[in-house]
Amino acid sequence: MLKKAFLVLAMMGIVNAAFSAAPQEILKGYEAQSSKASSVRGEQIFNTKHGKEWSCASCHENPPNHDTKHIVTGKVIKPLSPNVNSERFIDHVKVEKWFKRNCNDVLARECTAQEKADVLAWLMTIK
Amino acid sequence: MKNYFPLLFLAVLAMPVCAAKMTMPSDAPKSYEEECASCHMAYPPGLLGQKNWQSIMSGLDKHFGADASLDAKTQTEITQWLIKNAATRAKYSAFAPENRITKTTWFIRKHDEVRVDVWKRAGVKSPANCSACHADAIKGDFEEDRVRIPAK
Repeated sequence: MLKKAFLVLAMMGIVNAAFSAAPQEILKGYEAQSSKASSVRGEQIFNTKHGKEWSCASCHENPPNHDTKHIVTGKVIKPLSPNVNSERFIDHVKVEKWFKRNCNDVLARECTAQEKADVLAWLMTIK
Repeated sequence: MKNYFPLLFLAVLAMPVCAAKMTMPSDAPKSYEEECASCHMAYPPGLLGQKNWQSIMSGLDKHFGADASLDAKTQTEITQWLIKNAATRAKYSAFAPENRITKTTWFIRKHDEVRVDVWKRAGVKSPANCSACHADAIKGDFEEDRVRIPAK
């Protein structure tokens, strides 16, 4: 009986893992495709412009630990740091979708796995 | 004939009220809020005609200066819903230049007394930010009596 209950719990754990991940796991995934993340590089990527009109901080501000406003529309954007907002960086598909969109907006191209790892590593230091 | 006059009068009175109400259909897919309302208000589909929505949804990778691209399934879902609920009355369904609600004839006329500097206030930011002045815009309430323009 105990064994059975344990098995059910273990299966629930596996199912959960398939749908959501911790920011640490998402970071590990990007590092696996590149090399060890640097939060120093991440901070720089986030807060500087890359030849276009906006930086990441144009909408998310620095530090991104509070409600901010979209630079064009004024729409409220919830905090980006996963330490402040537990909804952030837990769904791999969602993370990839937003990196694709926002990297195109800021850098006019998709980001590399290294850049994503760096930015996420920095965001994980923001309290 | 005489008896109909008060009715007609009431109907005319009621007209601006109808125009100020642009409710969000109750069957909005979850993806509409999730995908579209992350960056701007979830605009009621009745604010634009079918052709404008089709044009917007076929160019999401370059969406008013931003990349708003979607996976194919979500794109189809949202497009079909927008088209089903698009404006049908001539006034609202006339093609909006650049696909902008703010460039429709009715929008411009409705806001012609708003000065240029008001649109630029930090509390307003953009004519696309309906909720800045229409507090219950999200519920489809654009009633003129309830407009509150931010002082800054």
